[in-house]
Amino acid sequence: MMDELMEILEELRPDVDFANETKLITDGILDSFDIVALVGELNDAFDIEIKPNNLVPDNFNSAKAMLALIEELQDE
Amino acid sequence: METSVLCRLNSAVEKYGDKIAYKDPENSLTFRQFNELTRSIGTYLARLVPAGAPVVVMSGRHIFTPACFLGAVRAGCFYAPMDGDMPVTRLNQILGVIKADFMLVDKAHLEIAQGLEFRGTIIVMEDIIDYPANDELLEQREKTLICTSPLYVIFTSGSTGVPKGVITSHQSLMTYIDSVSKVLDINDTDVLGNQSPLDYIAAIRDIYFPISRGASTFVIPKNEFAVPTALFETLNREKITALCWSVAGVELPAKLGAFDVLKPEYLKKLCFSGSVMPCKYLKIWQENLPDVLYVNQYGPTEATASCTYYVVKEKVDDDTVLPIGTPYDNYKVTLLTEDNKPVANGETGEICVSGPILALGYYGNAGYTEKAFIQNPLNSNYRELIYRTGDLGSFDENGILHFHGRMDRQIKHLGHRIELGEIEEAARKIDGVVDCCSLYNKPKEHLYLFYTGDATSKDIVLSFRKNMPAFMVPRKLVNLDKLPTLPNGKIDMQTLKTYFK
Repeated sequence: MMDELMEILEELRPDVDFANETKLITDGILDSFDIVALVGELNDAFDIEIKPNNLVPDNFNSAKAMLALIEELQDE
Repeated sequence: METSVLCRLNSAVEKYGDKIAYKDPENSLTFRQFNELTRSIGTYLARLVPAGAPVVVMSGRHIFTPACFLGAVRAGCFYAPMDGDMPVTRLNQILGVIKADFMLVDKAHLEIAQGLEFRGTIIVMEDIIDYPANDELLEQREKTLICTSPLYVIFTSGSTGVPKGVITSHQSLMTYIDSVSKVLDINDTDVLGNQSPLDYIAAIRDIYFPISRGASTFVIPKNEFAVPTALFETLNREKITALCWSVAGVELPAKLGAFDVLKPEYLKKLCFSGSVMPCKYLKIWQENLPDVLYVNQYGPTEATASCTYYVVKEKVDDDTVLPIGTPYDNYKVTLLTEDNKPVANGETGEICVSGPILALGYYGNAGYTEKAFIQNPLNSNYRELIYRTGDLGSFDENGILHFHGRMDRQIKHLGHRIELGEIEEAARKIDGVVDCCSLYNKPKEHLYLFYTGDATSKDIVLSFRKNMPAFMVPRKLVNLDKLPTLPNGKIDMQTLKTYFK
Protein backbone atom coordinates (compact mmCIF):
# COMPACT_ATOMS: atom_id res chain seq x y z
CA MET A 1 0.00 0.00 0.00
CA MET A 2 2.92 2.31 0.73
CA ASP A 3 4.09 1.91 -2.88
CA GLU A 4 0.72 2.97 -4.21
CA LEU A 5 0.66 5.95 -1.87
CA MET A 6 4.17 6.99 -2.89
CA GLU A 7 3.19 6.75 -6.53
CA ILE A 8 0.25 9.11 -5.97
CA LEU A 9 2.39 11.54 -3.99
CA GLU A 10 5.18 11.41 -6.54
CA GLU A 11 2.79 12.22 -9.36
CA LEU A 12 1.23 15.07 -7.39
CA ARG A 13 4.50 16.75 -6.45
CA PRO A 14 7.60 15.17 -8.04
CA ASP A 15 9.72 17.94 -6.49
CA VAL A 16 9.08 16.80 -2.91
CA ASP A 17 11.10 14.16 -1.06
CA PHE A 18 8.17 12.27 0.46
CA ALA A 19 10.37 9.47 1.81
CA ASN A 20 12.07 11.84 4.24
CA GLU A 21 9.92 14.93 4.78
CA THR A 22 8.13 15.00 8.14
CA LYS A 23 6.70 18.53 8.13
CA LEU A 24 4.82 18.63 4.84
CA ILE A 25 1.97 20.74 6.24
CA THR A 26 3.65 22.50 9.12
CA ASP A 27 6.36 23.84 6.80
CA GLY A 28 3.88 24.65 4.05
CA ILE A 29 5.48 22.24 1.53
CA LEU A 30 2.01 21.04 0.55
CA ASP A 31 -0.46 23.88 0.11
CA SER A 32 -4.22 23.88 0.37
CA PHE A 33 -4.67 23.07 -3.32
CA ASP A 34 -2.33 20.09 -3.05
CA ILE A 35 -4.42 18.84 -0.13
CA VAL A 36 -7.69 19.15 -2.05
CA ALA A 37 -6.20 17.18 -4.97
CA LEU A 38 -4.63 14.64 -2.64
CA VAL A 39 -7.78 14.01 -0.59
CA GLY A 40 -9.72 13.24 -3.79
CA GLU A 41 -7.06 10.85 -5.07
CA LEU A 42 -6.64 9.03 -1.75
CA ASN A 43 -10.40 8.62 -1.34
CA ASP A 44 -10.64 7.07 -4.79
CA ALA A 45 -7.50 4.94 -4.66
CA PHE A 46 -8.05 3.43 -1.20
CA ASP A 47 -11.83 3.51 -1.06
CA ILE A 48 -11.92 5.62 2.08
CA GLU A 49 -13.62 8.84 3.07
CA ILE A 50 -11.31 11.41 4.59
CA LYS A 51 -13.39 13.64 6.87
CA PRO A 52 -12.67 17.28 7.75
CA ASN A 53 -11.64 16.20 11.25
CA ASN A 54 -8.91 14.05 9.68
CA LEU A 55 -7.47 17.11 7.96
CA VAL A 56 -4.99 18.06 10.63
CA PRO A 57 -1.23 18.53 10.11
CA ASP A 58 -0.40 15.37 12.13
CA ASN A 59 -2.15 13.17 9.58
CA PHE A 60 -0.44 14.69 6.52
CA ASN A 61 2.98 15.79 7.69
CA SER A 62 4.66 12.67 6.30
CA ALA A 63 3.94 9.77 3.96
CA LYS A 64 4.06 7.46 6.98
CA ALA A 65 1.38 9.47 8.78
CA MET A 66 -0.81 9.41 5.68
CA LEU A 67 -0.45 5.65 5.46
CA ALA A 68 -1.49 5.30 9.11
CA LEU A 69 -4.55 7.46 8.43
CA ILE A 70 -5.50 5.39 5.38
CA GLU A 71 -5.21 2.14 7.37
CA GLU A 72 -7.25 3.58 10.21
CA LEU A 73 -10.02 4.70 7.85
CA GLN A 74 -10.03 1.36 6.02
CA ASP A 75 -10.62 -0.45 9.31
CA GLU A 76 -13.73 1.59 10.02
CA MET B 1 -11.68 65.59 -3.45
CA GLU B 2 -9.00 63.42 -1.93
CA THR B 3 -5.59 63.67 -3.58
CA SER B 4 -4.25 60.30 -2.39
CA VAL B 5 -4.92 57.36 -0.09
CA LEU B 6 -2.85 59.25 2.51
CA CYS B 7 -5.83 61.60 3.07
CA ARG B 8 -7.77 58.50 4.15
CA LEU B 9 -5.03 57.22 6.37
CA ASN B 10 -4.71 60.64 8.04
CA SER B 11 -8.41 60.90 8.84
CA ALA B 12 -8.66 57.25 9.92
CA VAL B 13 -5.92 57.85 12.48
CA GLU B 14 -7.80 60.85 13.89
CA LYS B 15 -11.08 58.99 14.06
CA TYR B 16 -9.96 55.49 15.07
CA GLY B 17 -6.53 56.07 16.69
CA ASP B 18 -6.43 53.18 19.18
CA LYS B 19 -8.69 50.75 17.37
CA ILE B 20 -7.02 47.70 15.79
CA ALA B 21 -6.40 48.22 12.09
CA TYR B 22 -4.42 45.08 11.18
CA LYS B 23 -3.82 41.87 13.04
CA ASP B 24 -2.08 38.53 12.39
CA PRO B 25 -1.44 35.58 14.72
CA GLU B 26 1.69 37.21 16.15
CA ASN B 27 1.03 40.95 16.18
CA SER B 28 -1.58 43.65 15.97
CA LEU B 29 -1.34 47.31 15.00
CA THR B 30 -3.72 50.10 15.95
CA PHE B 31 -4.41 52.80 13.39
CA ARG B 32 -1.98 55.06 15.27
CA GLN B 33 0.78 52.46 15.45
CA PHE B 34 0.29 51.58 11.80
CA ASN B 35 0.46 55.23 10.83
CA GLU B 36 3.64 55.80 12.85
CA LEU B 37 5.24 52.87 11.04
CA THR B 38 4.36 54.33 7.66
CA ARG B 39 5.80 57.68 8.77
CA SER B 40 9.09 56.13 9.88
CA ILE B 41 9.43 54.04 6.75
CA GLY B 42 8.29 57.00 4.63
CA THR B 43 10.83 59.41 6.13
CA TYR B 44 13.68 56.95 5.69
CA LEU B 45 12.73 56.28 2.07
CA ALA B 46 12.13 59.97 1.30
CA ARG B 47 15.74 60.74 2.23
CA LEU B 48 16.96 58.26 -0.38
CA VAL B 49 14.33 57.80 -3.06
CA PRO B 50 13.05 60.55 -5.37
CA ALA B 51 9.29 61.20 -5.29
CA GLY B 52 7.40 59.34 -8.02
CA ALA B 53 9.85 56.42 -8.18
CA PRO B 54 8.93 52.74 -7.81
CA VAL B 55 9.84 50.89 -4.60
CA VAL B 56 9.81 47.09 -4.80
CA VAL B 57 8.41 45.54 -1.60
CA MET B 58 9.22 41.89 -0.84
CA SER B 59 7.81 41.12 2.57
CA GLY B 60 5.98 38.18 4.09
CA ARG B 61 2.43 37.36 5.04
CA HIS B 62 2.18 39.64 8.10
CA ILE B 63 0.80 43.05 9.03
CA PHE B 64 4.07 44.92 8.58
CA THR B 65 3.75 44.39 4.83
CA PRO B 66 0.87 46.87 4.37
CA ALA B 67 2.93 49.31 6.46
CA CYS B 68 5.76 48.93 3.91
CA PHE B 69 3.32 49.64 1.08
CA LEU B 70 1.93 52.78 2.71
CA GLY B 71 5.42 53.79 3.87
CA ALA B 72 6.50 53.90 0.23
CA VAL B 73 3.44 56.03 -0.53
CA ARG B 74 4.32 58.40 2.34
CA ALA B 75 7.63 58.94 0.55
CA GLY B 76 5.68 60.08 -2.53
CA CYS B 77 6.54 56.80 -4.30
CA PHE B 78 4.53 53.84 -5.54
CA TYR B 79 5.04 50.24 -4.58
CA ALA B 80 5.55 47.06 -6.58
CA PRO B 81 4.87 44.08 -4.31
CA MET B 82 6.63 40.76 -4.94
CA ASP B 83 5.91 37.40 -3.32
CA GLY B 84 9.25 36.15 -2.03
CA ASP B 85 8.03 32.55 -2.23
CA MET B 86 7.97 32.79 -6.00
CA PRO B 87 10.87 31.23 -7.89
CA VAL B 88 13.94 33.40 -8.43
CA THR B 89 13.47 33.39 -12.22
CA ARG B 90 10.03 34.94 -11.82
CA LEU B 91 11.24 37.55 -9.35
CA ASN B 92 14.06 38.51 -11.73
CA GLN B 93 11.55 38.89 -14.57
CA ILE B 94 9.51 41.30 -12.45
CA LEU B 95 12.62 43.26 -11.49
CA GLY B 96 13.54 43.46 -15.17
CA VAL B 97 10.23 45.15 -15.94
CA ILE B 98 10.01 47.53 -12.99
CA LYS B 99 13.72 48.56 -13.04
CA ALA B 100 13.54 50.01 -9.53
CA ASP B 101 16.56 51.37 -7.65
CA PHE B 102 15.19 50.52 -4.21
CA MET B 103 13.82 47.37 -2.65
CA LEU B 104 12.23 47.20 0.79
CA VAL B 105 12.31 43.73 2.36
CA ASP B 106 11.63 42.13 5.71
CA LYS B 107 14.52 40.32 7.38
CA ALA B 108 13.14 36.93 6.40
CA HIS B 109 13.48 37.83 2.71
CA LEU B 110 16.87 39.57 2.84
CA GLU B 111 18.82 36.55 1.71
CA ILE B 112 16.51 35.92 -1.23
CA ALA B 113 16.72 39.60 -2.19
CA GLN B 114 20.52 39.48 -2.13
CA GLY B 115 20.50 36.54 -4.54
CA LEU B 116 18.41 38.35 -7.17
CA GLU B 117 19.53 40.23 -10.27
CA PHE B 118 19.16 43.57 -8.52
CA ARG B 119 21.85 46.26 -8.50
CA GLY B 120 19.94 48.84 -6.43
CA THR B 121 19.74 49.45 -2.68
CA ILE B 122 18.10 46.88 -0.41
CA ILE B 123 16.52 48.30 2.74
CA VAL B 124 15.49 46.02 5.62
CA MET B 125 12.15 47.05 7.12
CA GLU B 126 13.05 45.95 10.67
CA ASP B 127 16.03 48.32 10.62
CA ILE B 128 13.98 51.43 9.93
CA ILE B 129 10.68 50.99 11.80
CA ASP B 130 11.89 53.25 14.61
CA TYR B 131 13.43 55.84 12.33
CA PRO B 132 12.44 59.35 13.53
CA ALA B 133 9.67 60.75 11.33
CA ASN B 134 10.18 64.14 9.76
CA ASP B 135 6.90 66.06 9.46
CA GLU B 136 8.19 68.62 7.02
CA LEU B 137 9.66 66.09 4.61
CA LEU B 138 6.56 63.87 4.77
CA GLU B 139 4.29 66.81 4.10
CA GLN B 140 6.39 67.83 1.11
CA ARG B 141 6.19 64.33 -0.30
CA GLU B 142 2.45 64.03 0.33
CA LYS B 143 1.95 67.23 -1.66
CA THR B 144 3.66 65.69 -4.71
CA LEU B 145 0.85 63.13 -5.00
CA ILE B 146 -2.25 63.78 -7.09
CA CYS B 147 -5.16 61.42 -7.49
CA THR B 148 -3.88 60.16 -10.84
CA SER B 149 -0.41 59.32 -9.46
CA PRO B 150 0.43 55.62 -9.52
CA LEU B 151 -0.25 53.83 -6.24
CA TYR B 152 1.02 50.35 -7.04
CA VAL B 153 2.14 48.07 -9.87
CA ILE B 154 0.86 44.50 -9.61
CA PHE B 155 2.12 41.78 -11.93
CA THR B 156 -0.02 39.34 -13.85
CA SER B 157 0.65 36.57 -16.39
CA GLY B 158 1.71 37.72 -19.88
CA SER B 159 1.25 35.53 -22.96
CA THR B 160 4.77 36.23 -24.29
CA GLY B 161 6.33 34.75 -21.16
CA VAL B 162 7.10 38.01 -19.35
CA PRO B 163 4.72 39.15 -16.58
CA LYS B 164 2.82 42.40 -17.18
CA GLY B 165 2.83 45.14 -14.52
CA VAL B 166 -0.60 46.73 -14.20
CA ILE B 167 -0.34 50.30 -12.81
CA THR B 168 -3.21 51.47 -10.60
CA SER B 169 -3.69 55.10 -9.53
CA HIS B 170 -4.84 56.44 -6.17
CA GLN B 171 -8.07 57.59 -7.80
CA SER B 172 -8.84 54.17 -9.28
CA LEU B 173 -8.24 52.41 -6.00
CA MET B 174 -10.36 54.86 -4.00
CA THR B 175 -13.18 54.73 -6.55
CA TYR B 176 -13.33 50.96 -6.37
CA ILE B 177 -13.04 50.81 -2.58
CA ASP B 178 -15.92 53.29 -2.21
CA SER B 179 -18.12 51.45 -4.69
CA VAL B 180 -17.55 47.99 -3.23
CA SER B 181 -17.92 49.32 0.34
CA LYS B 182 -21.35 50.57 -0.60
CA VAL B 183 -22.45 47.19 -1.97
CA LEU B 184 -21.06 45.24 0.99
CA ASP B 185 -21.89 47.97 3.52
CA ILE B 186 -18.39 47.82 4.99
CA ASN B 187 -18.13 49.89 8.15
CA ASP B 188 -16.10 50.23 11.35
CA THR B 189 -17.78 47.21 12.97
CA ASP B 190 -16.42 44.88 10.28
CA VAL B 191 -13.51 42.50 10.69
CA LEU B 192 -12.09 41.23 7.40
CA GLY B 193 -10.41 37.82 7.11
CA ASN B 194 -7.64 38.14 4.52
CA GLN B 195 -7.09 35.13 2.25
CA SER B 196 -5.33 36.58 -0.78
CA PRO B 197 -1.53 36.87 -0.80
CA LEU B 198 -0.79 40.49 0.17
CA ASP B 199 1.09 41.15 -3.08
CA TYR B 200 -1.89 40.04 -5.15
CA ILE B 201 -4.63 42.26 -6.51
CA ALA B 202 -7.41 40.58 -4.49
CA ALA B 203 -5.83 41.82 -1.23
CA ILE B 204 -6.53 45.49 -1.95
CA ARG B 205 -9.85 45.36 -0.07
CA ASP B 206 -8.26 43.79 2.99
CA ILE B 207 -5.53 46.45 2.92
CA TYR B 208 -7.68 49.51 2.15
CA PHE B 209 -11.00 48.83 3.97
CA PRO B 210 -9.36 49.63 7.32
CA ILE B 211 -8.01 53.02 6.29
CA SER B 212 -11.06 53.86 4.17
CA ARG B 213 -13.88 52.59 6.38
CA GLY B 214 -12.41 52.03 9.85
CA ALA B 215 -12.72 48.24 9.56
CA SER B 216 -10.08 45.81 10.87
CA THR B 217 -8.28 43.12 8.91
CA PHE B 218 -6.98 39.80 10.21
CA VAL B 219 -4.33 38.12 8.07
CA ILE B 220 -5.11 34.36 8.13
CA PRO B 221 -2.00 32.11 8.01
CA LYS B 222 -1.66 30.38 4.66
CA ASN B 223 -1.47 26.81 5.97
CA GLU B 224 -4.85 27.12 7.71
CA PHE B 225 -6.42 26.87 4.28
CA ALA B 226 -5.14 23.27 4.17
CA VAL B 227 -6.82 22.58 7.54
CA PRO B 228 -10.42 23.71 7.07
CA THR B 229 -11.55 23.24 10.67
CA ALA B 230 -8.65 25.40 11.90
CA LEU B 231 -9.69 27.98 9.32
CA PHE B 232 -13.26 28.19 10.64
CA GLU B 233 -12.02 28.21 14.23
CA THR B 234 -9.93 31.25 13.35
CA LEU B 235 -12.91 33.01 11.75
CA ASN B 236 -14.81 32.48 14.99
CA ARG B 237 -11.97 33.35 17.37
CA GLU B 238 -11.31 36.62 15.52
CA LYS B 239 -15.06 37.30 15.12
CA ILE B 240 -14.64 37.82 11.40
CA THR B 241 -17.67 39.42 9.72
CA ALA B 242 -16.61 39.89 6.10
CA LEU B 243 -14.63 37.86 3.59
CA CYS B 244 -13.46 39.01 0.18
CA TRP B 245 -12.00 35.78 -1.17
CA SER B 246 -11.14 34.18 -4.47
CA VAL B 247 -13.65 31.60 -5.69
CA ALA B 248 -10.96 28.97 -5.14
CA GLY B 249 -10.69 30.03 -1.49
CA VAL B 250 -14.47 29.88 -0.97
CA GLU B 251 -14.61 26.41 -2.53
CA LEU B 252 -11.96 24.94 -0.24
CA PRO B 253 -13.86 24.64 3.06
CA ALA B 254 -16.98 23.46 1.22
CA LYS B 255 -15.00 20.83 -0.72
CA LEU B 256 -13.25 19.57 2.40
CA GLY B 257 -16.43 19.36 4.44
CA ALA B 258 -15.62 21.98 7.07
CA PHE B 259 -19.30 22.80 7.63
CA ASP B 260 -19.84 19.27 8.96
CA VAL B 261 -17.73 20.24 11.95
CA LEU B 262 -18.47 23.90 12.65
CA LYS B 263 -19.72 27.14 11.14
CA PRO B 264 -18.39 30.69 10.99
CA GLU B 265 -20.67 32.28 13.59
CA TYR B 266 -20.01 35.96 12.94
CA LEU B 267 -19.91 36.06 9.16
CA LYS B 268 -22.27 38.58 7.51
CA LYS B 269 -20.76 39.27 4.09
CA LEU B 270 -18.96 37.12 1.55
CA CYS B 271 -17.69 38.61 -1.70
CA PHE B 272 -16.07 36.20 -4.14
CA SER B 273 -14.26 36.87 -7.40
CA GLY B 274 -11.50 35.65 -9.67
CA SER B 275 -13.32 32.93 -11.59
CA VAL B 276 -16.74 31.41 -12.22
CA MET B 277 -18.28 30.11 -8.97
CA PRO B 278 -19.31 26.44 -9.17
CA CYS B 279 -22.67 26.73 -7.41
CA LYS B 280 -22.57 23.27 -5.83
CA TYR B 281 -20.09 24.82 -3.38
CA LEU B 282 -21.92 28.12 -2.95
CA LYS B 283 -25.03 26.05 -2.18
CA ILE B 284 -23.23 24.50 0.80
CA TRP B 285 -22.38 27.97 2.11
CA GLN B 286 -25.95 29.17 1.58
CA GLU B 287 -27.49 26.16 3.32
CA ASN B 288 -25.25 26.60 6.34
CA LEU B 289 -25.23 30.38 6.45
CA PRO B 290 -28.54 31.53 4.94
CA ASP B 291 -28.36 35.10 6.29
CA VAL B 292 -24.99 36.01 4.82
CA LEU B 293 -24.87 38.55 1.97
CA TYR B 294 -23.29 36.78 -1.02
CA VAL B 295 -21.79 38.92 -3.77
CA ASN B 296 -20.34 37.64 -7.04
CA GLN B 297 -17.79 40.13 -8.37
CA TYR B 298 -16.39 40.20 -11.87
CA GLY B 299 -13.56 42.26 -13.23
CA PRO B 300 -9.97 42.37 -14.51
CA THR B 301 -6.88 43.72 -12.74
CA GLU B 302 -6.80 46.42 -15.41
CA ALA B 303 -10.04 47.93 -14.05
CA THR B 304 -8.89 47.77 -10.42
CA ALA B 305 -9.86 44.08 -10.25
CA SER B 306 -13.51 44.88 -10.65
CA CYS B 307 -16.23 45.89 -13.03
CA THR B 308 -19.62 44.44 -12.13
CA TYR B 309 -21.24 42.72 -9.16
CA TYR B 310 -24.23 40.51 -8.53
CA VAL B 311 -25.96 40.14 -5.17
CA VAL B 312 -27.07 36.50 -4.93
CA LYS B 313 -30.61 36.71 -3.58
CA GLU B 314 -31.84 33.37 -4.93
CA LYS B 315 -31.08 29.96 -3.40
CA VAL B 316 -28.67 28.38 -5.85
CA ASP B 317 -28.69 24.81 -7.18
CA ASP B 318 -25.75 22.66 -8.27
CA ASP B 319 -26.13 23.79 -11.86
CA THR B 320 -27.00 27.48 -11.31
CA VAL B 321 -24.82 29.83 -13.35
CA LEU B 322 -24.57 33.19 -11.61
CA PRO B 323 -24.80 36.36 -13.67
CA ILE B 324 -22.00 38.91 -13.20
CA GLY B 325 -24.61 41.58 -12.64
CA THR B 326 -24.46 45.33 -12.96
CA PRO B 327 -21.58 47.83 -13.01
CA TYR B 328 -20.32 49.28 -9.75
CA ASP B 329 -20.76 53.06 -9.29
CA ASN B 330 -18.40 54.96 -11.58
CA TYR B 331 -17.93 52.00 -13.93
CA LYS B 332 -19.25 51.97 -17.47
CA VAL B 333 -19.61 48.72 -19.41
CA THR B 334 -19.87 48.60 -23.20
CA LEU B 335 -20.23 45.45 -25.30
CA LEU B 336 -18.52 45.52 -28.67
CA THR B 337 -18.69 43.19 -31.64
CA GLU B 338 -15.51 41.92 -33.30
CA ASP B 339 -15.63 44.82 -35.78
CA ASN B 340 -16.02 47.42 -33.01
CA LYS B 341 -19.76 47.97 -33.41
CA PRO B 342 -22.32 48.03 -30.61
CA VAL B 343 -23.98 44.64 -30.09
CA ALA B 344 -27.66 44.17 -30.84
CA ASN B 345 -30.03 43.75 -27.85
CA GLY B 346 -29.23 40.58 -25.94
CA GLU B 347 -26.33 39.65 -28.22
CA THR B 348 -22.91 38.61 -26.97
CA GLY B 349 -19.91 40.91 -27.34
CA GLU B 350 -16.54 41.71 -25.79
CA ILE B 351 -16.90 43.31 -22.37
CA CYS B 352 -15.22 46.71 -22.42
CA VAL B 353 -14.96 48.93 -19.37
CA SER B 354 -14.31 52.63 -18.88
CA GLY B 355 -14.23 55.11 -16.02
CA PRO B 356 -11.85 56.44 -13.38
CA ILE B 357 -11.01 52.85 -12.42
CA LEU B 358 -8.97 52.17 -15.55
CA ALA B 359 -5.35 51.28 -14.94
CA LEU B 360 -2.65 53.66 -16.14
CA GLY B 361 -1.49 50.85 -18.44
CA TYR B 362 1.28 48.25 -18.34
CA TYR B 363 4.49 49.44 -16.75
CA GLY B 364 7.17 50.26 -19.29
CA ASN B 365 5.18 48.68 -22.12
CA ALA B 366 3.51 51.26 -24.34
CA GLY B 367 2.87 48.66 -27.04
CA TYR B 368 0.71 46.40 -24.88
CA THR B 369 -0.95 49.41 -23.27
CA GLU B 370 -2.03 50.89 -26.60
CA LYS B 371 -3.46 47.60 -27.74
CA ALA B 372 -5.55 46.96 -24.63
CA PHE B 373 -6.60 50.51 -23.68
CA ILE B 374 -8.16 52.15 -26.72
CA GLN B 375 -10.41 55.06 -27.64
CA ASN B 376 -14.03 53.94 -27.38
CA PRO B 377 -14.81 53.22 -31.05
CA LEU B 378 -18.42 54.30 -30.45
CA ASN B 379 -17.31 57.80 -29.40
CA SER B 380 -15.88 60.13 -32.03
CA ASN B 381 -16.52 63.34 -30.09
CA TYR B 382 -14.20 63.29 -27.09
CA ARG B 383 -11.45 61.23 -25.52
CA GLU B 384 -12.81 58.19 -23.74
CA LEU B 385 -10.48 55.28 -23.10
CA ILE B 386 -11.90 51.79 -22.70
CA TYR B 387 -10.17 48.58 -21.65
CA ARG B 388 -10.88 45.54 -23.76
CA THR B 389 -11.16 42.70 -21.26
CA GLY B 390 -11.06 39.84 -23.79
CA ASP B 391 -14.10 38.45 -21.89
CA LEU B 392 -17.42 37.81 -23.59
CA GLY B 393 -20.73 38.89 -22.12
CA SER B 394 -24.36 39.73 -22.87
CA PHE B 395 -27.00 41.87 -21.18
CA ASP B 396 -30.38 40.27 -20.50
CA GLU B 397 -33.72 42.13 -20.69
CA ASN B 398 -33.25 43.40 -17.12
CA GLY B 399 -29.86 44.91 -17.87
CA ILE B 400 -28.02 42.17 -15.98
CA LEU B 401 -24.68 41.14 -17.46
CA HIS B 402 -23.91 37.44 -18.07
CA PHE B 403 -20.42 36.01 -18.60
CA HIS B 404 -19.66 33.77 -21.59
CA GLY B 405 -15.96 32.94 -21.30
CA ARG B 406 -12.79 34.19 -22.95
CA MET B 407 -11.97 35.27 -26.49
CA ASP B 408 -8.37 34.06 -26.14
CA ARG B 409 -6.35 31.44 -24.27
CA GLN B 410 -6.41 33.09 -20.86
CA ILE B 411 -7.74 30.89 -18.06
CA LYS B 412 -8.51 31.19 -14.36
CA HIS B 413 -6.93 28.44 -12.27
CA LEU B 414 -6.85 28.26 -8.46
CA GLY B 415 -7.92 31.91 -8.34
CA HIS B 416 -5.11 33.12 -10.60
CA ARG B 417 -5.15 34.43 -14.12
CA ILE B 418 -2.91 32.46 -16.45
CA GLU B 419 -2.06 32.78 -20.14
CA LEU B 420 -1.70 29.23 -21.49
CA GLY B 421 0.84 30.69 -23.92
CA GLU B 422 3.08 31.55 -20.98
CA ILE B 423 3.02 27.92 -19.78
CA GLU B 424 4.06 26.80 -23.27
CA GLU B 425 6.85 29.39 -23.46
CA ALA B 426 8.22 28.10 -20.16
CA ALA B 427 7.95 24.44 -21.25
CA ARG B 428 9.75 25.04 -24.56
CA LYS B 429 12.79 26.30 -22.66
CA ILE B 430 13.19 22.90 -20.95
CA ASP B 431 15.78 20.52 -22.40
CA GLY B 432 14.05 17.54 -23.97
CA VAL B 433 10.80 19.36 -24.78
CA VAL B 434 10.42 19.76 -28.53
CA ASP B 435 6.87 21.00 -28.97
CA CYS B 436 3.99 21.43 -26.57
CA CYS B 437 0.46 22.63 -25.99
CA SER B 438 -1.09 23.59 -22.66
CA LEU B 439 -4.82 23.16 -22.10
CA TYR B 440 -7.15 23.46 -19.14
CA ASN B 441 -9.61 20.80 -18.03
CA LYS B 442 -11.98 23.16 -16.27
CA PRO B 443 -14.40 20.66 -14.66
CA LYS B 444 -11.49 18.87 -12.98
CA GLU B 445 -9.33 21.98 -12.53
CA HIS B 446 -6.36 20.21 -14.10
CA LEU B 447 -3.73 22.18 -15.98
CA TYR B 448 -2.42 19.93 -18.79
CA LEU B 449 0.79 20.01 -20.75
CA PHE B 450 0.93 17.84 -23.87
CA TYR B 451 4.47 17.61 -25.18
CA THR B 452 6.83 15.84 -27.54
CA GLY B 453 10.48 15.07 -26.79
CA ASP B 454 12.32 12.83 -24.38
CA ALA B 455 11.98 14.93 -21.18
CA THR B 456 10.33 13.00 -18.34
CA SER B 457 7.31 14.47 -16.57
CA LYS B 458 9.49 14.77 -13.49
CA ASP B 459 12.05 16.89 -15.40
CA ILE B 460 9.29 19.20 -16.52
CA VAL B 461 7.60 19.60 -13.14
CA LEU B 462 10.93 20.22 -11.44
CA SER B 463 11.79 22.92 -13.94
CA PHE B 464 8.39 24.58 -13.48
CA ARG B 465 8.68 24.43 -9.70
CA LYS B 466 12.04 26.17 -10.03
CA ASN B 467 10.98 28.88 -12.44
CA MET B 468 7.25 29.53 -12.16
CA PRO B 469 4.69 30.32 -9.45
CA ALA B 470 3.10 27.16 -7.97
CA PHE B 471 -0.30 27.84 -9.54
CA MET B 472 1.33 27.75 -13.01
CA VAL B 473 2.79 24.23 -12.64
CA PRO B 474 0.95 21.75 -14.91
CA ARG B 475 -0.77 19.00 -12.89
CA LYS B 476 -1.05 16.51 -15.73
CA LEU B 477 1.73 15.86 -18.23
CA VAL B 478 1.16 13.81 -21.36
CA ASN B 479 4.07 12.77 -23.56
CA LEU B 480 3.07 12.24 -27.21
CA ASP B 481 5.02 11.12 -30.29
CA LYS B 482 3.45 13.93 -32.24
CA LEU B 483 0.95 16.69 -31.44
CA PRO B 484 -2.23 16.32 -33.55
CA THR B 485 -2.57 19.07 -36.15
CA LEU B 486 -5.33 20.65 -38.22
CA PRO B 487 -5.08 20.84 -42.06
CA ASN B 488 -3.58 24.34 -41.74
CA GLY B 489 -0.75 22.95 -39.60
CA LYS B 490 -1.96 24.48 -36.32
CA ILE B 491 -2.22 22.30 -33.24
CA ASP B 492 -5.59 20.55 -33.01
CA MET B 493 -6.64 21.50 -29.48
CA GLN B 494 -10.07 19.87 -29.75
CA THR B 495 -8.47 16.48 -30.34
CA LEU B 496 -6.07 17.05 -27.46
CA LYS B 497 -9.01 17.79 -25.19
CA THR B 498 -10.33 14.29 -25.84
CA TYR B 499 -7.16 13.01 -24.13
CA PHE B 500 -8.24 14.55 -20.79
CA LYS B 501 -8.58 11.82 -18.17
